[in-house]
Amino acid sequence: MTNLIDINPSLIEYAHRYLQRFMTITMDELKMLLSYCEMRQVEKRTILVKEGEVDNYLNMVVKGLVMKYVRVKKSDMILQLATEGHVIHSEISFLTRSPSLVFVETLEPTIMVSLTYDKMEEALDKFPQGERLGRLILTGMYVKKEESRYYRLLRSPRERFLDYINAHPHMLQRVPQKYLASYLNIKPETFSRMKHLVAKQ
Amino acid sequence: MYRMEYLRSMINDLLTFLNRFIKVSGEEFAELIAWTEPCQFAKKTLLTKPGDVEVHMYFITSGLVRKYFLKKDQEIITHIVKEGGILGAGESFLTGEPSKYFVETLEPTTAFAISKQKVEEMYRSSKKWEKLGRIMTTQYFLVQEMRLMDNIRYSTRERFVKFMKENTDLIQRVPQKYLASYLNIKPETFSRLKHLMNAK
Repeated sequence: MTNLIDINPSLIEYAHRYLQRFMTITMDELKMLLSYCEMRQVEKRTILVKEGEVDNYLNMVVKGLVMKYVRVKKSDMILQLATEGHVIHSEISFLTRSPSLVFVETLEPTIMVSLTYDKMEEALDKFPQGERLGRLILTGMYVKKEESRYYRLLRSPRERFLDYINAHPHMLQRVPQKYLASYLNIKPETFSRMKHLVAKQ
Repeated sequence: MYRMEYLRSMINDLLTFLNRFIKVSGEEFAELIAWTEPCQFAKKTLLTKPGDVEVHMYFITSGLVRKYFLKKDQEIITHIVKEGGILGAGESFLTGEPSKYFVETLEPTTAFAISKQKVEEMYRSSKKWEKLGRIMTTQYFLVQEMRLMDNIRYSTRERFVKFMKENTDLIQRVPQKYLASYLNIKPETFSRLKHLMNAK
């Protein structure tokens, strides 16, 4: 487990960059934190969590692409698209130990650093400042969600589309169009039309 | 300013609330109370407005508070919180950025307020309070996530029925147009659903 770091040097970089956003973390502390984690490597189109299962993992994507979606009356609604350096899992299920309402699935071959619920509890207790780090990570998650909800309510489909594509231009290549449309809550026809408008610029 | 017995009942409410999340000794609870400030507000008091940096979170012991923002000139209500709940412009409180939201009382309200500064002092003072902070943040996050999931998974009608079942008291206490905004249902639709429900 300790040689997790030797396997993939970019792991250190992503994990360090992610955690530095919350507090100052030394290399030794980072190594200690990573000793609670495991590395998982999966094929594309692997379902990590199904609706009804308890999600036992919190994952950070080191390489690849993972999506979270909810099945509403037989159609899927994309809630999150996570790429390198992003954290993704079924939050409610993981935190409350209840059956998941959502699916988590890879779209590309993916390598991730994963933390089980039990190991998280252990880290909160044993890692110096574990509680503080845990609180700050959750605060970050809360603020990010609140912000995205606010803008989702405030902005028009066109504004949502332009903001997203400008901020994440590479996602048009990596993610099937219908998923991006669902994620942005834009009708597929409308999304297609907007895409052509952007291409002309 | 406060009648002693009233303050005592406010304190009991806070203790009941805390016990759901963490075990605290009498001594620890007294310490916690000392970090907070009991306060009371008239109906329609604006606690926070856009551009303000939120410096308080409120644990409401009686009354009703809403949080909303303006989309052009339309009010979009994101929270309606009654006694036993916590409210404030949470994201501004947590980030120190100016609020985008209004926070306003809808009824005469009593609450325990805790300031950002006191919360920071509290976290620094012991791991126990840091843990409570983590648990409360988790709780705040979960409430937000669950509400989002309800909005996605349920139809307008289902959301209306679920809310009415779980909050019978709020139907009397909150103006209908506010409830409609909170549930993201058009006022006309809300009226129609209410009539249908009453007709049963």
